[in-house]
Amino acid sequence: MASVDILQTLGNKYSAEILDATDEPASAQELSDELGIPIATCYRRIDELTEHDLLELHDNILSDDRRRIKVYRRNVEEVRVDFDEELTVHIEERTEVTNKLDEAWRTLSES
Amino acid sequence: MIELTKTGIDGLDEILNGGIVKNSTTLVSGNPGAGKSILGLQFIYNGVDQFDEKGIYLSFEENEKDLREAAESIGFDKWPDYVESGDIKVYDKQVLLRENDFSSSLELLLDDLEDDEYDRLVLDSLAMFELFFESEREKRTYLLKFTDILRENELTTLMTNEQGAVFPDTEIGLENYLTDGNIYLIQTPTDSGVNRYLWVAKMRKQNIETDIYPMEIDWGGINVHENASAFSMMGEGDSPI
Repeated sequence: MASVDILQTLGNKYSAEILDATDEPASAQELSDELGIPIATCYRRIDELTEHDLLELHDNILSDDRRRIKVYRRNVEEVRVDFDEELTVHIEERTEVTNKLDEAWRTLSES
Repeated sequence: MIELTKTGIDGLDEILNGGIVKNSTTLVSGNPGAGKSILGLQFIYNGVDQFDEKGIYLSFEENEKDLREAAESIGFDKWPDYVESGDIKVYDKQVLLRENDFSSSLELLLDDLEDDEYDRLVLDSLAMFELFFESEREKRTYLLKFTDILRENELTTLMTNEQGAVFPDTEIGLENYLTDGNIYLIQTPTDSGVNRYLWVAKMRKQNIETDIYPMEIDWGGINVHENASAFSMMGEGDSPI
């Protein structure tokens, strides 16, 4: 059941912290450093969260040493669990408006 | 040398010592009926009519017909022609709120901004724009990002704001700090109608006259009496202070 899966994913250690920290795009390494998560666990959590559309790959940015780094941003504003009738998990996604402004603004800082 | 964008409004450019700082964002605040939308219409219309600068008018409050009628009612006869020719691009409430989907019009707008074709923009009103954001923090963040986008794309912008100036304790919203300029439009009732005043409270990078000046809205739009001291024009008891 998808709802249970999502709750499971959210309940995994560090998942909530990762979502909390990805208001602005961050790389796996940054999240690992900032939140004190072992890097392998960090990658695993990112994969799980991305699979459930809770987190999204935001961009491939170029690092100082000219490598491509994936940065992730949360795709969710709010999660609501409803036990009435049957278990449902409502995911409120980030609005498109903020996404578009973020993207246009990001392009500015690159140029 | 700071470049200036002339409003073309009689009296206002003089108070501003030449005009609004180019590529800045100015908040135009006032109560309903104070003339905020008219100031915006005039800024865009004069841009095309007098300075050969194209403009974008974003209105969450009115549709294109309302805007045209408002423009024509104060003598901006060529408004429909300029809209037709693309010198004035109007995003009206029907477009902006189509299917409750501001994000698709935002995409079109952002494309327009990047085209470098336009020099002036009016957003009527900031309060409606802010409804698309969830928290206070998000509102501030995205107002700043939006003004960055406007500045980098070289647009001189006016944003209207429903906020009265009540002296002495004018309520200062965070928007006032986040924008480069603050203009207040003030109206006080009199026996015969209203007295109107204009106050430029702030304009970053520019020396301005910070007195409060009387203004009129008439055929031809807003007219600011920059030579008159505001209070010599007022009868006893009319002072907004």
